[in-house]
Amino acid sequence: MARDHRYDVLFEPVRIGPKILRNRFVQVPQCTGFGSEKPGAQARHRAIKAEGGWAAVCTEYCSIGPESDYTPSVSARLWDDDDVRNLAPMCAEVHAFGSLAGVELWHGGVEVSPSETRMVPRAPTQVPSDGLHYSRPLTYPREMDRADIREVQQLYVAAARRAMQAGFDIIYVYGADSYLPIQFLSTYYNKRTDEYGGSLENRARFWIETLELVREVAGDSCAIAARLAVEGLGAKGVGLDEGLAFVELADHLVDLWDVKVGSRPNVGDTTSSRFAGENWQAKWTSQVKAHTVKPVVGVGRITSPDTMVKIIESGQWDLIGAARPSIADPFLPRKIEEGRLDEIRECVGNNICTLRANWGQQIACTQNATAGEEYRRGWHPERFAKADNADRDVLVVGAGPAGMECAIVLARRGMRRVHLVDAAPALGGHLLAVARLPGLGEWARIVNYRQIQLDKLRNVEVILRTRLDAAAVREYGAEIVVIATGARWATDGLNHVTNASIPGAEGKHVLAPENVLDDPDQAGEHVLVYDAEGYFMGAGLAELLAARGRHVTLASPHGAVSPMSDLLHEGIELRQHLRRDCGVALKPQTRLVAIQNDNCVLRDENESEFQLSVDTVVLVTMRIPNDSLLRELRSDSEALTRERIEGAFGIGDCVAPRLLADCIFDGHRLGREIDSAQPGTPLPFLRERCLAPVKEPADQLYTA
Amino acid sequence: MSCPGEGARRSALHGLTPAKRWLRDSRAYKRTNGPNDRHGAILKLVVCVKQIAILGDEVEFTADGRDVNPEHLGHSLNEWDACATEVALSWREQHGGGEVVVVTSGDRKAETALRRCLAMGADRAIRVESASIDPISVARGLAQAIRDEGPGLVLCGVQSSDSGQGSTGSALAQFLGLPCVAVVSSLEWNGFGPAIVKRELDGGLIDVLEVDTPALLTVQTGINRPRYATLRAIKLAEVREIAVVASRDDRAPAYRVRRMFPPQKGNGAQILKGGPEEIAQQIAGIIKERLR
Repeated sequence: MARDHRYDVLFEPVRIGPKILRNRFVQVPQCTGFGSEKPGAQARHRAIKAEGGWAAVCTEYCSIGPESDYTPSVSARLWDDDDVRNLAPMCAEVHAFGSLAGVELWHGGVEVSPSETRMVPRAPTQVPSDGLHYSRPLTYPREMDRADIREVQQLYVAAARRAMQAGFDIIYVYGADSYLPIQFLSTYYNKRTDEYGGSLENRARFWIETLELVREVAGDSCAIAARLAVEGLGAKGVGLDEGLAFVELADHLVDLWDVKVGSRPNVGDTTSSRFAGENWQAKWTSQVKAHTVKPVVGVGRITSPDTMVKIIESGQWDLIGAARPSIADPFLPRKIEEGRLDEIRECVGNNICTLRANWGQQIACTQNATAGEEYRRGWHPERFAKADNADRDVLVVGAGPAGMECAIVLARRGMRRVHLVDAAPALGGHLLAVARLPGLGEWARIVNYRQIQLDKLRNVEVILRTRLDAAAVREYGAEIVVIATGARWATDGLNHVTNASIPGAEGKHVLAPENVLDDPDQAGEHVLVYDAEGYFMGAGLAELLAARGRHVTLASPHGAVSPMSDLLHEGIELRQHLRRDCGVALKPQTRLVAIQNDNCVLRDENESEFQLSVDTVVLVTMRIPNDSLLRELRSDSEALTRERIEGAFGIGDCVAPRLLADCIFDGHRLGREIDSAQPGTPLPFLRERCLAPVKEPADQLYTA
Repeated sequence: MSCPGEGARRSALHGLTPAKRWLRDSRAYKRTNGPNDRHGAILKLVVCVKQIAILGDEVEFTADGRDVNPEHLGHSLNEWDACATEVALSWREQHGGGEVVVVTSGDRKAETALRRCLAMGADRAIRVESASIDPISVARGLAQAIRDEGPGLVLCGVQSSDSGQGSTGSALAQFLGLPCVAVVSSLEWNGFGPAIVKRELDGGLIDVLEVDTPALLTVQTGINRPRYATLRAIKLAEVREIAVVASRDDRAPAYRVRRMFPPQKGNGAQILKGGPEEIAQQIAGIIKERLR
């Protein structure tokens, strides 16, 4: 289908310095966990976005020298010619699709703890990072003298030269969130009294000089960009006034302003959908345009083409920047261009990408199971090879996230018929209820997107309100059976802290999360939510019940309530919100020892027991797989053979409860490999790693 | 056995591959015929069904501008007809037998709809070979085939979701000389006496009618939830023989399509502007205004 003319403006080319963006879509710098160490994965991940229509595709933060080392978090690196060699394929592949490649030259200053290189980080002043202070204590930077400043600036220059050799078109001098150039700009970090400290002009000097140097190297062959948290949202960055003033000071030196807001510890610009809706940064970043003559790109998890048009037409920015929306749907621009709006896989903002990429793992995405798998497994988000056994019929039992995803992939692989059967009256499994938890509404996109695709696939039939037992599954007439029956919450308090149930859990006033989601009003006035899992359910139910006027205590054996949320960049805000806005009493480091009729016995971090008087206890402890159907089917392989069933496979929570992203991945993986010799076992993937020299005996390697 | 239906079924399964034999032996295939009508013959319920076209994302017209390019069409059993089939099948189950015969009009491609009904559990299928698309010609063709069956009840869907004429049923009743009740939402019938049917009227009123049988009823969606067909039943239905009856109607079609086109966009739409909350308020205001 053709593009709706409403969206024409999004496809206008934009000049940035010597380069031309073919449209207004920019994948701003975004972590992958690939860096320069996994050149294949890096290149394919970015190339698929170029193919999907992003006019520019950038690396993640790219270290300019060994002192900017944040291991085990993975950055790209441009330290030497071998790094050039490893990043060049990304540029070549991105260019092949007519897009520009951008690199984000990065010096972390105080915000690194160089555990691989064992160097001392250099910073404007010896002010330790407040964030690192908790996670990686004893990281003191060294204050830079003038010689250090020249040396570090030459690292930028050398890295810029290498970037040009690799083939990059856009060179960032990266400041935001709180890296070296911003550290010079911010009075929080910069206490200098020389010409690099004090007035704004002085604090801006380092960044401006560095931009001048990099610009000189780049000449007319590259566009120069600066990424700036124009409002620091806290003491560490700069306030909006100074942010805008800096834009004016440096405007002649940049071809592109990439603007965002700053980071507080664990609350980055990657704020979760719980706390930030689409285009949430506009309040601050929309003000930049008035202070520059250069093109401006901003972010804010923008997935709606109508919002994008509004952003351009209102003059908010010139370009639509995206990290997370481009991970969830690398083909977002092309789908707008081709009028396939209902095929856009919108980011749900649950920050699994952040969790994975920031913590030394490779990128993953809840919505897009192919993210990070483009090279090593050869998965393309939009292309599906016809299965060798496409003449088979498949029965998928369970239409939760894993089952829906698997059915879609199987259908796209051309399986003759795919029947997706569920006992519930609607698609989505447990996620339907989860998305009704406060703040998690966007998670429903996981179901909605898949429901729309299933509806379009002509070889899929969705059968609801139908519960199949093992006999019915065997008699169903499918050659391949997939079981995706999900999990349920333990009702006896079984938890992974004690690996035992909780005495008294059988009491009538004890509810499982499902009970509360079905009917929150059955909870009494005083409620204890005991969250031994540490993700969204405990916090979500506490908020849900508090919103209904209950007095809620949220106890957790973990060091902090909902520790997962810290990894997802929402922990501090979430706890603040629960305490301050919802009136929930938080009791971390507290174990539930026993439940009595109107009392709970709890044990605090000092091992002293205390009692809490409650009317209702909600146990969010452990999830138990609904695996009876899978077990029954697999235990009688003769019956399967008799019914001509070639394989019965489990996916998702019914195998082992896990993250949504991993459930969807599991369903996707099975669909991708349904025609392998053993579909139940993942095929080996390409591993990018160093191999020992072939000719040298191993012992010589260590004695040399 | 000389029953033609049985004979057809046998021949279809003759010389089967092991896979097809396995299909035949499965439970879904075995079926018994139950109650008889007052003359001792097996009671028949005939259901008229249509294979409807579903528009895909893209719509393109044929060169003569009279139809949608078939490349962009999907096909399915009409939803109303699936409900009508379900009425017949559940009646057969409740009354311990009877024969459910599904009939359609069209070319070979239209058999997919019949096979879906067979997979749901219909006993027999007949296709009236015809190129007609106007409801009167279709009804005339169907009438020939149905008259030979001598059904106790003829069930049609209220309308088809693609052309939506809603007139095949009543035209067919006219050709068969049967009483007709349209838009039926409930059926009670013991197999020989008059049938009690309900119809939903405006304002939530229920109209209860008693109609002599044989009769023709057009069935409204919502009367039931059509059963699904297992993959096994679908595979079984694929090898079933479908009786083909030539249409004896040589009259010219009652109407011809002159042109098909998407309507021009009007200016009647009211575009609401503002944030989500403002827009929600405006929508609520409009609803309240209109309900008044």
